Amino acid sequence: MALISTRAIFNPVLSEKELATAKKYSDIDNAPEEQARGITINVAHVEYQTENRHYGHTDCPGHADYIKNMITGTAQMDGAILVVAATDGTMPQTREHLLLAKQIGIQHIIVFINKVDAADSEMVELVEMEIRELFSEMGYDGDNIAIVKGSALCALEGKNPEIGTQAILQLLEAIDKSIPTPQRDLDKPFLLPIENVYSIPGRGTVVTGRLERGKIKKGMESEIIGHNKVLKSTITGIEMFHQILDEAQAGDQLGALLRGLKRDDVRRGMVLCKPGTMKAYDHIESQVYILKQEEGGKKKPVTSMMQLQMFCRTWDIAVQTAVGGNKNLAMPGEDATLILKLIKPMVLEKGQRFTLRDGVVTVGTGVVTNTLKPLTESERVALLEGKKAKQKELKQQKQ
Amino acid sequence: MIPAQIFRLIHTNGFLWQATKKSLLQKLRKKTGYTLENCKKALQLHENNIEKAEKWLKEQAQQYGWTQAVKLQGRNTGQGLITLTIDGQYAALAEINCETDFVAQNKKFHSLAERVALTVLNFAKSQEIQNEVQRTALHADNLKVLSAADGKSLGDHSALIIGDVGENIKLRRALAIGVQSPDVTLFGCTHPTPMNPIPVSFGKYGALIAVRSKNKDDILGMQLCQHIIGMDPQKIGNPRVDEPHNNVDEESCMIYQEFLLDPSIPVQQLLAETETEIIDFARFEVGENLDEESTVESIQTCG
Repeated sequence: MALISTRAIFNPVLSEKELATAKKYSDIDNAPEEQARGITINVAHVEYQTENRHYGHTDCPGHADYIKNMITGTAQMDGAILVVAATDGTMPQTREHLLLAKQIGIQHIIVFINKVDAADSEMVELVEMEIRELFSEMGYDGDNIAIVKGSALCALEGKNPEIGTQAILQLLEAIDKSIPTPQRDLDKPFLLPIENVYSIPGRGTVVTGRLERGKIKKGMESEIIGHNKVLKSTITGIEMFHQILDEAQAGDQLGALLRGLKRDDVRRGMVLCKPGTMKAYDHIESQVYILKQEEGGKKKPVTSMMQLQMFCRTWDIAVQTAVGGNKNLAMPGEDATLILKLIKPMVLEKGQRFTLRDGVVTVGTGVVTNTLKPLTESERVALLEGKKAKQKELKQQKQ
Repeated sequence: MIPAQIFRLIHTNGFLWQATKKSLLQKLRKKTGYTLENCKKALQLHENNIEKAEKWLKEQAQQYGWTQAVKLQGRNTGQGLITLTIDGQYAALAEINCETDFVAQNKKFHSLAERVALTVLNFAKSQEIQNEVQRTALHADNLKVLSAADGKSLGDHSALIIGDVGENIKLRRALAIGVQSPDVTLFGCTHPTPMNPIPVSFGKYGALIAVRSKNKDDILGMQLCQHIIGMDPQKIGNPRVDEPHNNVDEESCMIYQEFLLDPSIPVQQLLAETETEIIDFARFEVGENLDEESTVESIQTCG
């Protein structure tokens, strides 16, 4: 739940309160997910608890590293702690830290002014003013940002408890207060990506899949979207592990009986959702991390007008790429903005994660950052004709 | 009554004195950007004379930078920038490293990168061109002692930035190129390309190419640079000597590689169609492993 941290300070303090196990600094720099996912993750994780909440704490060594983690979904941040030394004031690169926080949509930042044991009160005051100014300049609410002052060194060595241990506890209290609890998947409108469709004689059509979020109950109105279709239906039955149920929750693998639909109306890759909550798109902006060869990716970069297969939830579809931003190609190991054109509108939303593949090789993994206006008929025709046709046309124009 | 008045007087004075001192410190910090600790020290040493303090800070900055540089020299510098600049028949390519990419994105670091590129460009111009393409490779030690336009060495300049950002910075390597004949053109690009086209370009990758062609085609030149960045060829390749690799994806000879922007044609065909000849090329990538042997010779020439 954090950005740049005084890594080692929380655990010793909290372990006294029996809320965390103390870890040595050298033990923190490891990431078990790294091996599990096959993508190198340069992030250290620690976890701790306050009386109210459980935190996962991520240290963030670099901009590119974090963007990569955000894209692959290995580390999402709900808030951040920015550490500024009272002896130095804000550093030139503090601006870049805040820029990153802004870019990845972090709304809640708590500032910890460190090393107050080595500075006097007026320096601390000046640092605080500087921070508020910088925050306002970067588009945050600088006047109301929570600032805690202390000394990580004192906390570690157990000296001067009022700027040591007490300050750390104050910081945790500030985090508890300033960062709202994220909305749970259960409270969101329901969504079920369809994995399979069956026809059960005498009963009707059943779709199966894992309920991604929300709750469903027997008798609920629903919408089935995808593959150029929007259908309406009512859930008339829910079945899980051969048991008939009245209700299911996010995370459940289930079958839902739908009223009035034929088997051929519904296909894998469509979603079952609360009416009006989801939409299909065929033109999106995304942030994609291109895998290195060592991570199972390709050696070559991704260029514009490439044809790739996009995998997302239970569907996959051909897309055409356009490299955006200040890049004209996306090198392996880099992140890039890609504009993707889908040959068919599919159900998508902002924040949706997906994978891009070329044949049997995974090229990259990405996240939808924006949905763009639908393709026009001529754009779609051009998309289907592909790159070759466009080049021919250009050549003809030249002659 | 009287003692109370005196007491109040002293108290107010003390308070006022405190206030002016604080605003001085704030002013000095805003003006110079040096760390609060140093600003405070400067004011203390010069009895709150802001001009003297500022002068002292500027004098100390170089010294402070060098102390910091020595203190931080062991730290790993895996990030940084490739910087590139071209001026007519001369070009410079350089790599500067720092510890985190936050610093690599900072304006102060960019200004250092720009200075290094321009200094290497000047160095290129000072070299006598003996061959068709004159390449001079510079590594860390040669780079440090080059003097920038203002007379200070690049080593001094990088120490100043080290003092500013508190991270280790290394000038890793540079390449100065000059071409002789007027029909040979130099092209270069960095990746990612900066938003605004500027004379000095920065990126994580940089490529330079010397091309001979009848009609100067800027777009083709840029595309070939992109190809070099993307496909990482090891050499140009000579059709009479080199054999194409069995697996086209492993190909390291540029002429046999698929052209990055149109995989249906090999580079050789593209060059033939456009009547272009590649004379020489160079590719830099931030943090790449260097073959030490090639950097040991400080001067290498290509025909």
